[in-house]
Amino acid sequence: MSRGGLPQEAYAAALAGLDQMTPRRLGLMTRSGEPLGRIWEGLASGRPARRGILARLAAAEPAALAAWEREAPTVDVAALWRRCAGDAVLILGHPGYPEVLERDPLPPAVLFARGEVGLLHELGRPAEPSGAEGAGRPDEVRPRERRTDRRRRSVAVVGTRNATAGGLEAAAALGRDLAAVGVSVVSGLAKGIDGAAHRGALAARGGAPPIGVVASGLDVVYPRQHAELWEEVSARGLLCTEAPPGTRPAAHRFPARNRILAALAELLVVVESRRKGGSLLTVTEAERRGLPIMAVPGSIRSPASEGSNLLLVDGATPVLELLDVVVALGLEDRPAVRRRRVDRRVPPDPGDRDLLELLGTDAVTLDTLVLRSGRAIGEVAVALGRLEAAGWLARSGAWFELTGAGRA
Amino acid sequence: MLAIISAATLLGAEGRPVSVEVHVSNGLPAFSVVGLPDEACRESRDRVRAALLSSGQVWPAKRITVNLAPSGVRKTGSGLDLAMAVGVLVASEALEPASVAALAFLGELGLDGSIRRVPGIVPLVDALGDRVAVVPPGCVGEARLVARGAVRHATSLAELVRAARDEVPWPEEDETPATPDEDFGPDLADVRGHVVGRLAVEVAAAGGHHLLLIGPPGAGKTMLAQRMPSLLPPLDRATALSATMIHSAAGLPLPGGLVRRPPLRMPHHTASLVAMVGGGTATMRPGEVSIAHGGVLFLDELGEFQPAVLDGLRQPLEEGVVRVTRARGSVEFPSRFQLVAAMNPCPCGAASKPGACQCGDALRTRYLRRVSGPLLDRFDLRLEVGRPEVDELLGAPEGESSAVVAARVDAARRLAAERHGDTNSAIPGHRLDELAPLSKAARALLRREVETDRLSGRGLHRVRRVARTLADLRGGPDEIDEESISTALHLRIDPFDPARRAA
Repeated sequence: MSRGGLPQEAYAAALAGLDQMTPRRLGLMTRSGEPLGRIWEGLASGRPARRGILARLAAAEPAALAAWEREAPTVDVAALWRRCAGDAVLILGHPGYPEVLERDPLPPAVLFARGEVGLLHELGRPAEPSGAEGAGRPDEVRPRERRTDRRRRSVAVVGTRNATAGGLEAAAALGRDLAAVGVSVVSGLAKGIDGAAHRGALAARGGAPPIGVVASGLDVVYPRQHAELWEEVSARGLLCTEAPPGTRPAAHRFPARNRILAALAELLVVVESRRKGGSLLTVTEAERRGLPIMAVPGSIRSPASEGSNLLLVDGATPVLELLDVVVALGLEDRPAVRRRRVDRRVPPDPGDRDLLELLGTDAVTLDTLVLRSGRAIGEVAVALGRLEAAGWLARSGAWFELTGAGRA
Repeated sequence: MLAIISAATLLGAEGRPVSVEVHVSNGLPAFSVVGLPDEACRESRDRVRAALLSSGQVWPAKRITVNLAPSGVRKTGSGLDLAMAVGVLVASEALEPASVAALAFLGELGLDGSIRRVPGIVPLVDALGDRVAVVPPGCVGEARLVARGAVRHATSLAELVRAARDEVPWPEEDETPATPDEDFGPDLADVRGHVVGRLAVEVAAAGGHHLLLIGPPGAGKTMLAQRMPSLLPPLDRATALSATMIHSAAGLPLPGGLVRRPPLRMPHHTASLVAMVGGGTATMRPGEVSIAHGGVLFLDELGEFQPAVLDGLRQPLEEGVVRVTRARGSVEFPSRFQLVAAMNPCPCGAASKPGACQCGDALRTRYLRRVSGPLLDRFDLRLEVGRPEVDELLGAPEGESSAVVAARVDAARRLAAERHGDTNSAIPGHRLDELAPLSKAARALLRREVETDRLSGRGLHRVRRVARTLADLRGGPDEIDEESISTALHLRIDPFDPARRAA
C-alpha cells in the first residue's frame, strides 16, 4: 500500500511510536541517510530487507525487528501525522535539528516540539571536553565567562513532587528570578518543584521563555492538574518531548525525559529531592554531560530534602540565594540581578511574632503550636489565620510552615 | 387433645407473640412442626422428645402435630422448645390445662431436660403482654425490665412441671440484682499532648458531630475514640429501652440490666455488610450500627472496609434506622449512632506532613477514594492526629478528666436542646442564620476560606454547625465569633486538600 504524500516527519513519528524503539535504534535509522518513508514501508511490507539499515538491524536486533514488522502494518501513519499538526518534528541527522542536542551523547532521534522552536537553536554550551568525570564539583563550576555571542542561557530546576511549602517557594522564587535575569528555566512540568519553578518563571513579566520537557505525547497532558501550565509554557516558551502524540506517561519515560532535560540546560539546580528521588536521576544525567550541579539546602529533619542535602555532601554547590546561581552562570553583571525584592508584608504584632518564632524550619501542627505557646486553641487558631492572610505562613492540612517574602 | 401455649419469637429486635398449638391424636406415632419454623425451630422435635424422656415423663406414642400460630410469621431459633414441651405434656394430659393457662414459656431445652437461655429475652418478654413469663435461669433480671406480669424461672423441665402442678413453689429468684452500669470506660485524662484531638472529641460529644481522625499508626486515634462514650450523657429512658432490646436480641450480655451508658462498638474492618447493618439468613439479627444505637460506632481503618459496607452506613446515618428487607419479610432496627472513624493519611502512613510522604500521588488518591465522597462529607469534624513528640508527651500537663469535660458537654447539649430541640449537628441549613449568626470578623474569615477554594458550600454549613457547638461549650453566646469559626476550620481539614495536590 502506498503512503505517498506524507512527509519524512510523519514516518519519523510512526517509527518513534513503535514498541521497543529506543533513541539509539531510531538514531541509527534517521542518520543512515535512507528516506524514513522507505524504511517504514520496508517494515510494514514485512519483506526481509537485503541491504540498508533494516538489514543491519535485522542482523543486530532480530527480535526488535520482528516485533516492529508485526506492529507496523497496524499503524495508521496518516492519522498519527494529523495528530502532530501544529507541532514541530525535529529529526536527528536531518536539517533543522538543534545543535545543542546533536552534540549530546544520546540525543533524542525525534523530538516533538510545541511553541517557540527557535529557542532550541539558541541554546548551547561551549564545547567542553566530553565525558569529563567528576564534573559538578564546586571547583569545576566555571568561572565567570565573558561572552560575546547571543546564546540563550538556560538552567534546569528540578525536585520532588511532594514538596514542602518552603521548597515550592524556593523553586518559584528561583524560577522567577532566573527568568527576570533572562535565563530560560528548563523543567519537567511535574507536580511540586518542577511546576513551581515554571510558575515562577511565567510570573516574571517579560522574563525569558520557559522550556518544558515532558515524558508523554504533547497531546497527553500529565499531570492533569497542570493542564493550564502546560498550555502556558507552550504559549510563552517551548514544550518538547521524545514521545509521539498519544503516548501515555509510562514510568520508564521519565528517566529518558530527564536526560533531555539535562541536555538542554547548562546548569542543574535541585531544590528538594528525596533520598531516592527521580531528580537524582536527572543529576546523574547532568553529571554525565558535565553540567555543574547546585542544590538548595534543606532542613535535616525534612525527608523531602534528604537527597538534595546528600548532593551537597557529595560536592554540589549550595544555592543560598539567586546570586549563587547567577555567579555560576557568570551573569552577575546583568542589571536585573541588582534589583532586590522588598518584603511588602505587614509586620505581625508582638503576640503573633512570638507564635511565628515557634515555627522553625520544620512544618509543625496546631497541637505543637498550642503546647509550645501555652495559649488556648482558639486564640492560636485566630492568630494563625491572621498570619496566613498576611503571608507569613502557609497551611497545608493540619500543618504550618513559615514562608519567605518570595512566594509566587 | 389440643393444647394452646403462649410464647414469643424474635423478629429483628422485636418480639412477636406466638401460640404454640399442640395436637395429640391416635394414628401412627409421629411428631411434626408446622407454621413457618426455621431450621433451629424444626430441630426442636428431637430436643423436646429427649428432654421429656430425661425428665421422667412419658412420650405419647401418638401422632403429634405442633402448629406455630400465626403461621405467617417466621419462627426462629430454639426459644420455642419449652413451650412445645409444655404443650405436649398438656395435650397428652400429663399437665392440667388450667395450671399453665396464665403462663407463657421462653427457653431452649437441653437433652437432659435443662432449660437454657436464648437471645432476646427482653423483647420476647415485652411481647408476652401481662402473662406470667417463665424464663430460663439467669434471665429474670432482664425480663423484669419490661415484664408487665410476674416473672418466674425454672432450671429444668422436671422442676417446671412440679411447680406448675403446685407440688413445689416456683424457685426463688437467687440472682444478684443488676448493678447499674458505672463503667465509663477509659478516662480522657490519660490523653496527653493531643490538645486538638481532645477538643475534637469534646466537640463531637457536645454537638453530636461525626468525627474522622486521620493519622499515622500509633498516633492515638483509637485512644481518643475510646474516650468518646465517657463524655456523653446517659441515655434517656426511651433510647435506653430500645438499646436494651437490641442488645438482648443480639445475644449480648446485659450485666447492668437496662443499657444506660452510650455503647461503644468497634467492628473490625473485615466486617460484612450483614454484620454491619443487620440481617442474616436464619435470624434477622441486629447489626453493629443498631447495637451502637444511642452510642458510638468506631470504625478503625475506615479505608479498609469494603465499599459496600460503607455504603450501607448511609441510610442509618441519614434516617437513624436500618430497614433490612429479605424475601421473608422486612424489619426495622433503630440505629441512631455517632460515627467516629480513623484512617491513615496514605498507604505508607508516614504522615500528611508536607514533603514527608513516600507514596505516589496516584496511590494516595486511590487510597483516599476508597472512602466515598458522600461518606467523607458526613464528618463535620475531620482532623489530623499526629504522633506527639516525646517532650510533648512528658512535658504536657495532665488534661482535664472525662467528668469535667462531660459536665461541659452536658451543659452545651442543654443549650442546643433549648435552642432547637436537638444537637447542633442537626441544625438545618436554612436555620443557620437564625440559630448561629456570624460576627463580622467571622463572616470575613469564612468568605476568605471559600474564595481560596479551601471550603465548599456544604463544608461551610458544617463548619458553622461546629462553630455553634464550640460557642456553646464556652457558654453559648448568640453570635458566633471569629475564634469559634477559626477553631472550627482547624477541626475540618480536607484530606484531598487541593492546595497540597496542585503546585
